[in-house]
This record gives sequence, C-alpha cells and structure tokens, in this order.
Amino acid sequence: MIAFAQYRFIDNGHFRYLLWLFKTFLILAGGVFSMCASGAEISENLQIHGFASQGLISSTHNNFFGPSGNSVSTEYTELGVNFSYRPHPDLQLSAQAMSRRAGETDNGSIRLDYGFIGYNLISTESTKAGFLLGKIKNPLGFYNETRDIAFTRPSIVLPQSIYFDRTRNFALSATGVQFYAEHTNDSGLLSFRASVGNPKLGDKSSEYAVLGGDRPGDISGKTSYLGHLMYEWDGDRLRLAVTHGKVNSQYNPGASDPFASGTFSFSPWMLSFQYNTEKWSFTSEYALRESQFSGFGPVLADREVQGESAYVQGVYRFAPSWEGLIRYDVLYQDRHDRSGERNATLSKRPAYFYYAKDWTIGLRHDVTPSFMLSGEFHTIDGTGWLPFEDNLGSVSPVRRWNLFLFQGAYRF
Amino acid sequence: MIFILLFGYVFLVSPAKAVDIIINSSIQVNSLSRGTARAIFGMRLLKWPDGRPIKVFVMEDASLSHIAFCKEVLDIYPYQLRQSWDRLVYSGTGQAPISVSSEDEMIAMVASNPGAIGYLRRSIVNDRIRTIPLH
Repeated sequence: MIAFAQYRFIDNGHFRYLLWLFKTFLILAGGVFSMCASGAEISENLQIHGFASQGLISSTHNNFFGPSGNSVSTEYTELGVNFSYRPHPDLQLSAQAMSRRAGETDNGSIRLDYGFIGYNLISTESTKAGFLLGKIKNPLGFYNETRDIAFTRPSIVLPQSIYFDRTRNFALSATGVQFYAEHTNDSGLLSFRASVGNPKLGDKSSEYAVLGGDRPGDISGKTSYLGHLMYEWDGDRLRLAVTHGKVNSQYNPGASDPFASGTFSFSPWMLSFQYNTEKWSFTSEYALRESQFSGFGPVLADREVQGESAYVQGVYRFAPSWEGLIRYDVLYQDRHDRSGERNATLSKRPAYFYYAKDWTIGLRHDVTPSFMLSGEFHTIDGTGWLPFEDNLGSVSPVRRWNLFLFQGAYRF
Repeated sequence: MIFILLFGYVFLVSPAKAVDIIINSSIQVNSLSRGTARAIFGMRLLKWPDGRPIKVFVMEDASLSHIAFCKEVLDIYPYQLRQSWDRLVYSGTGQAPISVSSEDEMIAMVASNPGAIGYLRRSIVNDRIRTIPLH
C-alpha cells in the first residue's frame, strides 16, 4: 500500500513539476546569491537583477497555459536573472538567462533571453546614438521587450490581441544588430531604433501558427527588420510610438511532408498611446498584422491575410501600492472577415476561432517593492488567441469562456 | 468653515523645505535644466560634460524625500521613474540607480563618490557636496 502510494506520488505530474521548478530556480539563483546577498550593484559598474513569478490559472472549458479548464493549472512560471556591466559610460554588456513554463506552449527550458554589447557612437547632453550587437529583444509596442517580467506588465497576461503568447517567437527577439538614436530636450524625448536580425523559431508553436499543426519539417527564421519611433512628452506624461516590422521565415519540409518549402512573413504596423497622471494611466495600442504565405504547395495556397488588433486600458492607482485595471481587448484574424464566417466556410472550423473579444478587470498589490500579488478576471467571446497546444483534446474549444488568474511575483 | 479648510490645506501641503539636487563637489556643473535632470534620474544621460560617469543615488520609491523630489523637482510621479528603470534593467539596455535607505546614507554616498548625484530635503553644509538649482 505504501509502495503504491509512493508510486502514485512520484508518478504525479505535480511532483515532477515541483522538482523541475526547484532545480531551475537553484541553477538560476545559485550563481547570483553566491556573489551577493541583496542583488543590484555588485561591484563598481556591475549590476545583477532577477525575477520569479508563479501563476495559478483556472478557466471555464478552454485550457490556457496548462489544464486550467474547469480545474486549476500551476503551469505558468517565469524565472530569470540578468547582469549588466558598464566599464565605460558609452559601453555596456548585458545578458539575461530565463526559464518560462506556460502550459504546452513553453516547456521551462533555460535559455538566453538576450545577450548583447551596446556602444554609444555619439553621446552628448541632448543626443545619443549607437548600436547593440547580439541577441536583442524587439522593441515592439510598449511591452514586448520586458513581456516576461511580471512587475513590468499592467496585468498578469498582456493583452493577447497584440502580445499573443501562442506565437510569441515571431516578435520576441532577434540575433543581429540594432541602431538607436535619441534626442532629449526640455519638452521631451524622441527616440528611433532600427534592427536587422534573425528571429529564433524552430519550435512547435511557430508550426501551429503557420501550418496549423506540428509538422514533419522545421520553421527557421530568416533576415528580418524592425523599426520603432517613439516620442515621450513632458517626462512620460504622454507616450506615443509607431512600430513596423517584417519578420521572415522559411519552412524546410521533413520526410513525406504534405507541405513544400514555403516562406511565411509577418509584417505588423503598430500604434501605441499612453497618457499618465498621478492616479491614472490610459493606454491603447492598435496593430494591423499582415501575414503572407507563399510556396507551401497545393495544400496551402499562396495568400495574404490582414489581421487587426486593439485594446484600450485604464490603470487606477487608488491607494499606495494598490492598483486596479480595466481593459477591453479585441482581435480579428482577418479584418475583412470580422465575424469569421467566411474563414469558417473555407476551413470547416467554427467562426469564433477567428476572433476574440476580451473584457478584463484586475487588482494588483505591491506588498513590498520587490514582492507583488495580483489577480484578474477575463470574460472572453471567441478563441482567436487561445493556445493551440493546450487544447488538442477531443473536445473542441467553446466560444464564450472565462479566465481567472492569480500570481505572486518577486524581483530583485 | 471654508477658511479653515483652505488654511488647513495650505498648511498641510506646504513642505517644510524644498528638495534640492546635490552633487559631489568635484563636478563642474552649476545648474541643470529640468530635461537634463529627468534624463539623469531616468538613467538615460550617463556622463557629465567632462566625460566622467554619472552615478545616480535615490531613496526608496515610497519615501517622502523621493516622492517630493519626483513631484517638485522633476515634475513626474515615482511610478513613472520606476517603470523607466524597469524597462532599462530587464531589457538589458540600461542600469538602475543605486538605492540608499536614509538621507544620512545619501550624504555619505554623494560625498564619497566622484560623479555622484542625489537629492536631499534638508540643508547641508559640507565641502564635498554642492546643491545645484534647476534653470
């Protein structure tokens, strides 16, 4: 009986998960705590920071980040540690290692999130220009660069219409070079960033996004481009940004593959707006997303699809260290077919697979400057951004669903 | 009644003393514009006109000195600075300022670090620290 109980316990996914969590955290944190007790400035010009967060997720019907449907999923964990070293005011080296577990879409493996060298070619009191070389996070909209750090997000999950987690690698980062230029004066800051690099794809979720399933071949990133122009007026009171990118990828077919070696490119245009007052922050972002498929053969005809996304969000700081959130977020996979009916006829899938409308309310409490608790509730019509891999069972996702999330987060 | 309320309001919100920017006295700068002060405390401007690195010291976000400094000197809110620092720190594109836990520690750090800048609510007479105004 005891042996049986033990067997059941060890076989339990939760135990293996806890073991994994423990091991990962030990590896990431071990090096850091041996060097310092308090984090931050370790020695002259060297800083170390890190973060850890754990979510609890429950939903009606559909799964989001693990088996959350009519149950509770613990499969949402973010752990990371970074260093930055600035031997000279114009030179900086930075790298961040992280592990992210998000249901079936991310397995928690430890990876290099970014790692680059940055150098200012020009730096005067008002003007700065230079480049970053290495693996760089993409400055897409307001949140992409720090999207996995709970403290930098307005909510537990970012608005999924724009910061979709099911195909995040197309926009996440690229290995290459980024040029930047910024000009400051008394009225504000104008900055421009342009990058050329290769995104890291080659995972299952990219194949789901482009080819609708885990296919025999592989998708790899090709040379891609991104530009980001931002104006921040009067000390961030008003922030405006325009982002445009072209992310290119190539499919290399496997053995007896129905798909030929095609190319897929994703070109978003994005407008970002934020207005900050003492108590309120109003944020809105809009994205026009163009996807191009070509050369995949008869199974997937060449085509262009224009998707559209937008959200409007208010954050209210109603007491010291407490804030409330309200947001409406909408995604259309095809802006010329917002109801999804036309795509449904073609694909023989339900129309609600092609859109998602999400009302979110949330509450956040910063218990200390480095420890935060938050909770949020979503009520959603449509499954336009529902992760594919979390919902592969025989039961089809349902149209109207609710999502509850609770998260504890730590940083140093 | 209104007079009492008005009087109370003025009395309560008037700070005992304005917040001053302090710098290590080795720095050859006599005043800063608000834009430059925002760039320095926002961790975007990283060196003094003579090329030496700027070393920024701040107090905790919730401290009265920090709140008063943000509002009165920089004319922004503490959460905005924190968000700017977080964006730099967790994207690798910048560093955070160094945190001190009291005004005594602020005085000690700014006095002992060439290139240091910070702020203070009380008056100080010290030959290793200077107060500089915004212009």
